[in-house]
Amino acid sequence: MLRRYFKVWWMLAVAWTQIAFSSRFGLIAFSLGKILRFVFFFLFLVILMTKTKNIAGYTFWQVILFYATFNLLDTAAQFLWREVYRFRRYVNSGSFDYFLVKPISPLFRALFGGTDIMDFFVFLISIGFVVYSIMQIGSFSIYSIFIYILLVFNGLIIAMAFHILILVVGILSTEVENVIWLYRDLSTMARVPIDVYKEPVRSLLIFAIPLGVMMAFPVKAFLSLLSWQFIAYAFIVSFVMIFVSLWLWKYALREYSSASS
Amino acid sequence: MLLEKFLWGPINDPLLLSITLGNSRFKLIMIFKKYLAIIKISLLSVMAYRLSFLMWRIRTIFTFLTIFYFWSSVIPQNNSLFGYSHSQMLTYVFGITIIGIFVFSSSTNSVGEEINDGNLSNFLLKPINYFSYWLTQDLGDKIVNLAFTIIELLILFLLLRPPIFLQKDLVTILLTVFAGLIAAITYFFINMLMGFIAFWNPEIWAPRFIFFVLLGFFAGQYFPLDILPKPVFEFFQLLPFAYLLYFPVKVYLGQLVFGQVVQGFAVGIGWSIVIFFIMIFVWKRGLRSYSAQGR
Repeated sequence: MLRRYFKVWWMLAVAWTQIAFSSRFGLIAFSLGKILRFVFFFLFLVILMTKTKNIAGYTFWQVILFYATFNLLDTAAQFLWREVYRFRRYVNSGSFDYFLVKPISPLFRALFGGTDIMDFFVFLISIGFVVYSIMQIGSFSIYSIFIYILLVFNGLIIAMAFHILILVVGILSTEVENVIWLYRDLSTMARVPIDVYKEPVRSLLIFAIPLGVMMAFPVKAFLSLLSWQFIAYAFIVSFVMIFVSLWLWKYALREYSSASS
Repeated sequence: MLLEKFLWGPINDPLLLSITLGNSRFKLIMIFKKYLAIIKISLLSVMAYRLSFLMWRIRTIFTFLTIFYFWSSVIPQNNSLFGYSHSQMLTYVFGITIIGIFVFSSSTNSVGEEINDGNLSNFLLKPINYFSYWLTQDLGDKIVNLAFTIIELLILFLLLRPPIFLQKDLVTILLTVFAGLIAAITYFFINMLMGFIAFWNPEIWAPRFIFFVLLGFFAGQYFPLDILPKPVFEFFQLLPFAYLLYFPVKVYLGQLVFGQVVQGFAVGIGWSIVIFFIMIFVWKRGLRSYSAQGR
């Protein structure tokens, strides 16, 4: 079954890539815009760190690692789940009905049906920056690399749960755009170490809207700044979020009424 | 009902109005009513989707809080960095939020889609100036956004109690308002220009995306531009972006000397005029190639 779903994903990803390439101007402009966005904020951090030796106690390369990890997770989420941004159109037009009658999971189709090749370039750049900043920080162990990678995947699971919740809101209220941009705006708070924020904002990012768990915990664990209790908490959060989001998805499907296809 | 007709009848009755006020005044009132209706529709359409509106307001608040807390941490109280004290930087953050809302809330993002859909034809046939129509729509948008932002910032100010600087000099306040108006008009021209790309290429969001990315960095949305190295800052001052956000806030902070204020206004107004003429030129060229596709 996994092979079948991978085949479907690949087919849809190739189709959307072909659509992206059909407008080379759009492809180049969007890709350039995403790269510029990455570079500009990086330059801002460089300028800032020339005058201040640390931000919230973190050195330059530690701050860059936070930023690179944020970009890694952010672009991975956009690359995999770009279809969520188009979901409102499907619900409004009734095309979502066709998702429901096909012999694959409608959730899979709604989540993974529109891979965005334009985010792939920044994704690769982010990986490069993660590796380079880890090398610059130095003094790391196999364990710290392992826990970092594990928590990055954990972060991706939390991101997927967020996207499923956005789909749920899309079915129940057709309001997707502002919800997804609210998620994106909130997640940009994790571009810098979340220790920058005072209470109660910091606790909000860890306990209420676990974007801090998603984006900051991998780096903190790598830097041995995260206790085993918080590492366990991170995995519990992802498990609970996925469980709740899937339950809500099933509820939303029961409540769904077609706009007529 | 009869009393209402007696009192307001002349205002609503075109024939009576033209007789009582004369032709030119009557025309002025009718034009005023036309654009007032556009503002009303703009206000109503913003409030039509309440959940969407609520989400949008929450986004504005969180965007503000992100930058506010970031700079609060980077420049703690009784410290300074890049020539900004804690209080000045937080005032800058408040300033860019208010000025940003006034300058950047615009419905002209839809111009490109209108051209792509062929709906521009409706406006070309109507007795309404296309630019005045959008300017009036913008005004409606700005009124709603500014009103809510001021209320939100007031609440945040009472909760957070930041030590922000309140300008007391009336001349400086008036200059800030004037700088904000120039910024709003310049941004309107730029946005219309971005929309006119649709006359030649249906892909309108890609160049707009790059523009927003450049705007965030070059307009001083995340940091005051004068923290940049001097040659870089001087280059930024030659571009129109600095006058959309950074310059009005600097005027408010009173950190510019007279010569810098004059220079800033000169460059800002200059760019406004240049972009206006480019916009008109592109509009006329665009109309020649417009084919109302989609209609």
